[in-house]
Amino acid sequence: MSALKSLERYYPILDSHFQSFCASHGIFTAEDFLTHDLYVLAASAEQQPTAERLKEGIAQVLSIIDEWHRPWLNGMELLEDAERNKHVLSTGIEGIDLILGGGLCQGQLTEVVGTSSSGKTQVCLRMAANVAKNHTGKVIYIDTGNSFSPQRIESFVARNSDPIYIQARSNIIQKVMSNIVYHSVFDIFAMFDVLHQLENNLTSQVLKEDCKVLLLIIDSISSLITPVLGGSGSQGHALMTTAGVLLKKLAHEHNIVLLVTNHMVGGEGSNLKPALGETWKSIPHVRLRLSRNNGSNVCNLSVLKHPAIASSLAATFTID
Amino acid sequence: MEVTRLPLSATQRGKLISTGYTSLSSLSSATSSDLARDLNITEREACEILKVATSTSSPDKLDGSHAVVNGAKNAWDMLHEESSLMCITTSCADLDSILGGGINCKQVTEIGGVPGIGKTQLGIQLAINVQIPPYCGGLGGKAIYIDTEGSFMVERASQMAEACVEDLSEYSRFLHKNLQACQVEIKCKDILENIYYFRVCTYTEQIDLINHLHNFILEHKDVKVVIIDSVTFHFRQNFDDLALRTRALSAMALKLMKLAKELCLAVVLMNQVTAKYIEGSFQLALALGDSWSHSCTNRVILYWNGNERCAFIDKSPSLKPASAAYSVTSRGIRNSDSSCKRNKMM
Repeated sequence: MSALKSLERYYPILDSHFQSFCASHGIFTAEDFLTHDLYVLAASAEQQPTAERLKEGIAQVLSIIDEWHRPWLNGMELLEDAERNKHVLSTGIEGIDLILGGGLCQGQLTEVVGTSSSGKTQVCLRMAANVAKNHTGKVIYIDTGNSFSPQRIESFVARNSDPIYIQARSNIIQKVMSNIVYHSVFDIFAMFDVLHQLENNLTSQVLKEDCKVLLLIIDSISSLITPVLGGSGSQGHALMTTAGVLLKKLAHEHNIVLLVTNHMVGGEGSNLKPALGETWKSIPHVRLRLSRNNGSNVCNLSVLKHPAIASSLAATFTID
Repeated sequence: MEVTRLPLSATQRGKLISTGYTSLSSLSSATSSDLARDLNITEREACEILKVATSTSSPDKLDGSHAVVNGAKNAWDMLHEESSLMCITTSCADLDSILGGGINCKQVTEIGGVPGIGKTQLGIQLAINVQIPPYCGGLGGKAIYIDTEGSFMVERASQMAEACVEDLSEYSRFLHKNLQACQVEIKCKDILENIYYFRVCTYTEQIDLINHLHNFILEHKDVKVVIIDSVTFHFRQNFDDLALRTRALSAMALKLMKLAKELCLAVVLMNQVTAKYIEGSFQLALALGDSWSHSCTNRVILYWNGNERCAFIDKSPSLKPASAAYSVTSRGIRNSDSSCKRNKMM
């Protein structure tokens, strides 16, 4: 991501003459090289009096670009990475764990979609409490609707806690709840800020061992994207896809379980379908649909999409 | 392209990308005069763009283990800070108990129901109850009442305020165990003065008002509740472009959430019902559809149960689904038990 001007500092061959030559072809950054016809550029360089220098410059930029692509991995390396780093974390809800083969997988973006009050926030809270309780590491909860309830988290953590002494129990609850980090965001740009900050902190490895992030929850990502999606211009779409790419990158590189929630909108006839449209459909790795029977505590979960499990498998669980 | 994630207008972004400023580092090393020259904009605009870019990319220092994300809090701290979370009583003990004490601050509560069930009455009651002084257990705050339908009746508010003052003096006499009626400092006139009333007539006025609420509340610091009655009225008619309506509504919902969270106040939204064709029959559902139904933290549905008015918690992150009965009397919203003479305030 760099303009040729800034590259000049490190590579003196990309001097102002080279830059103005490129500018005459509409090329201002190194990325523009990727979108322009290099043969035409080389041919035009041939015709300049300083052809050799220009061609050296072009070759230099191409070698810089070469360093940017990610290294190739072979199947064995991927398998080792999966076995060593990509574990399945239990959600704390038996019904869900049973059909998902143990829970949600690190490195995957899981989406929970459902109508209003179908239990999406409850699933997120349950999972946050469960992961914080049973593993060492942080849980980051990004909330857009002020629905995070520390009381619910406490009740989930305190349930089935072993120590019977009140003081020891309270210490454990404190330790577990201190590992759940909460942030509220109210627009998509604020969410990007938080994610980029997180990415910088994780890549610079300044964090200690127990500050490893295990789970990142965004409840709900659809309320951030809906205000910008549609209308004239495709910026909303671009933001949505960028968000998806960034989330999956975070999940894969840092072995995080990513859980987002989405709501439903009216489709054809009276059918409901997940919001955010066709483009978003292919972004999450796993899509789960929740619904709740009117007036009862029983929720139904069905698998809409999963890389390893048949779709339309269903399970029920209760919220208590 | 890092520049796409900056909150800039589409033209500014287009100009930045076409002249090669695609990353934040390229912007941070540029001066405003360079930028103004390259983008062909005024220097002031260039300064604003640079300000946005630097505020987003400032790498904050890590301090302590839970600064994984700056500005974040952990759940344990939040649990203890929330024990001092204030609620606004509805003057009906049963309703308060299913709401966990009353309408919560820092949350957006949506109240929906058929016409005539008492939504406006509840709104006026909350605007009055938020002013109950702290020595009687209330918040001692002011209220903002945004009226979109013209249903706010000042005479009714005055009647309910009188009743509230009487109840408060009786309550403080009970509290102080005096035989004489305690003089409560607050008077009916003061109560009415502390309700800021706005009347909006179109959806653009509504959106504009909500955008300016933040600044308004910073100037009038004691506002503790914002009541919008009803939030959906102007969006139901004359809207040709439904996609625009969805975007406007979801943006408005986020702004209200932010207002509630940052200024620690309660936001109460009234909504109407409409008939929806679900599962082969027409049923009553809240207006504005499924996307709007996600725009609140809690939802309370008011309905008729025979001859009695009831409220049902439809959506809440921490409250159990439960219902309670209430009634609308000349003194305001009260318990529906007609045998209950004393109004339990707290």
